[in-house]
Amino acid sequence: MKISAAGRKSLSASLLVSGILAAVPSVAFAAEAGSGASLIIPDMSEFIPALLAFLVLWFILAKFAYPAITGMLDKRAATIKDSLEQAETARIEGERLLERYKAELNDAKKQAAAIVADAKKSGESVKADITAQAQVQADEMIAKAQLAIEAEKNQAISELQSSVADLSVAVAGRLIGEDLSDGEHRKLIERYVKEAGSLNAN
Amino acid sequence: MDIASVIAEVPEKIAELQLSFSSGAVVGSTDGFYISQYILWMFVATAILLIVVFAAKRRMTLVPQSKFANAIEALVEFVRKDVGEGVVGKGYEKHLPFLLTIFLFILFNNLLGLIPGAKPGTGTISVTAALSLVAFVYFNIYGMKKQGVGRYWLNLAPKGVILPLAVMLWFIELFSLFLRLMTLAIRLFANMYAGHIVLGAFALLTTLFLTPLIQQGISAAALVTALPSVIWMALLILMYAMELLVAVIQAYVFVMLTGVYIQIAAGEE
Repeated sequence: MKISAAGRKSLSASLLVSGILAAVPSVAFAAEAGSGASLIIPDMSEFIPALLAFLVLWFILAKFAYPAITGMLDKRAATIKDSLEQAETARIEGERLLERYKAELNDAKKQAAAIVADAKKSGESVKADITAQAQVQADEMIAKAQLAIEAEKNQAISELQSSVADLSVAVAGRLIGEDLSDGEHRKLIERYVKEAGSLNAN
Repeated sequence: MDIASVIAEVPEKIAELQLSFSSGAVVGSTDGFYISQYILWMFVATAILLIVVFAAKRRMTLVPQSKFANAIEALVEFVRKDVGEGVVGKGYEKHLPFLLTIFLFILFNNLLGLIPGAKPGTGTISVTAALSLVAFVYFNIYGMKKQGVGRYWLNLAPKGVILPLAVMLWFIELFSLFLRLMTLAIRLFANMYAGHIVLGAFALLTTLFLTPLIQQGISAAALVTALPSVIWMALLILMYAMELLVAVIQAYVFVMLTGVYIQIAAGEE
């Protein structure tokens, strides 16, 4: 817009200048061909066509050529400037995003490491728990088994004791006859057997 | 024809050459209105300039693709940055069409004139005077519009000077202001004219010293006479390179000075 306004001004200037020049009285200079002074005295036959040609050229170029040319140059300059600015903005934004993604990636890595460490830790503790529980159960089972064995053993011993005593009384009764008082002898034998049993237990 | 007679011919031939540089009628007659060889070539240069600029405009894309359009863009950017932003300064945009037209018009005329057989439109004072008058009117009108008519003309005298001195300086400044009209025109014309006279002279000398060899066939005398032609030819090539530079520099100088005058006319320090 600025250029076209300038172009219009220039057009009006060219018209004004031509108006004034037309008013300049065209003095006819006597030109002697080849002589020194005549070299620098304008000849109207050349001066007027030159003047008209220049003014017409000025008018045509100012109206039809320059606005488009300078307009395009300005537009190009503006486009280049905009593109450079956009590229700069995009570069800054890109760097910012890269920074952010790097930080996020770092965070994620740290988190993953923490999760893995956590899982390892909890796995180990579960393992230890299970082992301990199994140990306890095994210990209980062993203790129960021992108790049962002990009880069985005690019962077997007492059964054996009583059957040994009965057998001994029977044997002794056969040997000595029937007069052996059952109650006294039985106590005696049971004492022996007990002593033998305690000896056996040692 | 020996070397002495060839040398004797030089002044006359150079005078003929110089005469050929004055404007002659291509169309019409010099008694009335006529089209001179300079104006003819000026029209050619103007046509080429229009074609080139519009072709470049058509090929311009947001993402540069055409080298040709790029080259013209570079010229536009050069005037915009160096003369517009660099010299005119703030508000240069509205002067850009004028400055660009001045620069491209002079550049195309100067360069076209370097093609053997062609003439630079700027090789006659009439064309450069037209350009200088347009520039002169342009910056004065701009100054008067910017500062106001009275202030513009009064401001010619520097501020902070005692009155009698200020009056004297005002007249000097006024004189130098109108001198710009002439200096702009004569600088460009004289550069092109003198440059092309020198090119023409070396070209002429090259041919002149070769003439005996061409006309009389190979002989010892003709060969000796032809020897300087090698030097003239070398000088011609050297001057051509130089003139190529001058063609561009003078376009630049003209537009740069116009920019300076516009900047001064704005009255902003």
